[in-house]
Amino acid sequence: MKKPLLLLAPAAAIGLTLLGVPGTASAADSNSYQAQLNALNHASGSGSVMITLSGSQATVTEHFSGLAATFGGKPYPHVQHIHIGAMGQCPTNSADQNGDGVISTTEGAPSYGAIGTTLSTSGDTSPAAGTTLTVAPSGASTDYHRTITLDSKTLASLKAGTAVVVVHGLDPATLSKTAQGEKSDLVPSLPLAATSPALCGTLVASQMSSIPGGSAATGGGSTAGLQHEGWIELGAGLMLAGAAAGGLGLRRRSIAGN
Amino acid sequence: MHEPQHHGRRRLPPFAVLAVVLLFAGAALVTGALHSQRHPPQPPASAATPLTTMSSPTVPAGTPPRHSPAVIGPVLARAVPVHLDIPEIEVNTDLLQLGLNPDHSVQVPPLSRHSEAGWYRYSPTPGQLGPSVILGHVDSAEYGPAVFFRLGALRPGHTLSITRADHTAAVFRIDRVVSYPKDHFPTLEVYGNTNTAALRLITCGGKFDLSTRNYESNIVAYASLISSHPA
Repeated sequence: MKKPLLLLAPAAAIGLTLLGVPGTASAADSNSYQAQLNALNHASGSGSVMITLSGSQATVTEHFSGLAATFGGKPYPHVQHIHIGAMGQCPTNSADQNGDGVISTTEGAPSYGAIGTTLSTSGDTSPAAGTTLTVAPSGASTDYHRTITLDSKTLASLKAGTAVVVVHGLDPATLSKTAQGEKSDLVPSLPLAATSPALCGTLVASQMSSIPGGSAATGGGSTAGLQHEGWIELGAGLMLAGAAAGGLGLRRRSIAGN
Repeated sequence: MHEPQHHGRRRLPPFAVLAVVLLFAGAALVTGALHSQRHPPQPPASAATPLTTMSSPTVPAGTPPRHSPAVIGPVLARAVPVHLDIPEIEVNTDLLQLGLNPDHSVQVPPLSRHSEAGWYRYSPTPGQLGPSVILGHVDSAEYGPAVFFRLGALRPGHTLSITRADHTAAVFRIDRVVSYPKDHFPTLEVYGNTNTAALRLITCGGKFDLSTRNYESNIVAYASLISSHPA
């Protein structure tokens, strides 16, 4: 983001917009979607996701914070996906069918559906990478930025308003005694807490045709630091000269006095 | 030979006069320069408080699209904005149209002596449902204070008027004014969906990073449409 201002405001591009030429930017044919991530399963934390489409290319920008920080002494891997093909909603507590106090990933599926795309940090983004802990963002918070290709099913769900971002991984200490002893419904070698949903948000079409990426370079800096440095330098110079003249005068006088 | 010189210096010591004149002139210049420093106003924390709890603009999270929340307040049909008046901070500017840079950051108006603000043309037009975005510079290295120099002085309750191409004037009221570090710019809060005809006025603020030639913060003034009339 932090680039020299002049690079961020190419005169040519501005010129085009001044002439009112529509649709010259690549953004004109892209679409933006947004999701506010809210906590599930008594997890703390929140976040937001923005997706800008250009064809099937999706630029995903996500921020979340406040999730469980460590798992077995290591940064907690939070697997995350775009779930598709169901009601396009985040589950409520009534989805907890076995009454253990935790909405497992399976129990949430009638609301948000199956994994359509894995929001991995690198490599495979298919459902197959859904529980690969090594490519999950880890730690309590994350700033995720990746451009990936969405398959036709995820694209269709996104456009139908039934795509839901789910971030998984609960702090076991916040679970009931029963739930703490349970195995994951997805990966039996893991505890239930590790794969259960922690944050959830439905992707909705943005009211903007394209959401800009982050901050704006709206300052040139003339009023930021010390201004009128020239005056100050000249003034200081004059004062120095004055002091020198005074000193010289005194010296002459003392010489003359001798 | 010594006597007259000695007397002359006592009556009119030239070095002393020169010294005093130079010292006073120098001090005056430095004082003048320091007094004429102009720094853009920054919003206090209190300006971030919403004017009323009713005007909370963010759409509740996780809301399914088929159950969009009820729209609050007036909404206008689409019409491109052409002029912006904010009497409180003496802003009176025609509006450019701004797009996106190749890196997907928002374009900013050109730096020029006649500094104008610009409407981000992929956002709703002012008065439409959603967050309409208008950007202006706080200053420029070459030309000094710019069109949104005093944006940080806006307070909740101040009003502004936007003239649109359909000859309506849309009147907005400031809800809150917030300064965000650019590396923690809350994209969804600023650019995300709203249930009002909303407006975001954006400029730079905070400290200026001399190494990157960039301000460290953005000042965002959030406003909502309250009325409209023929322009």
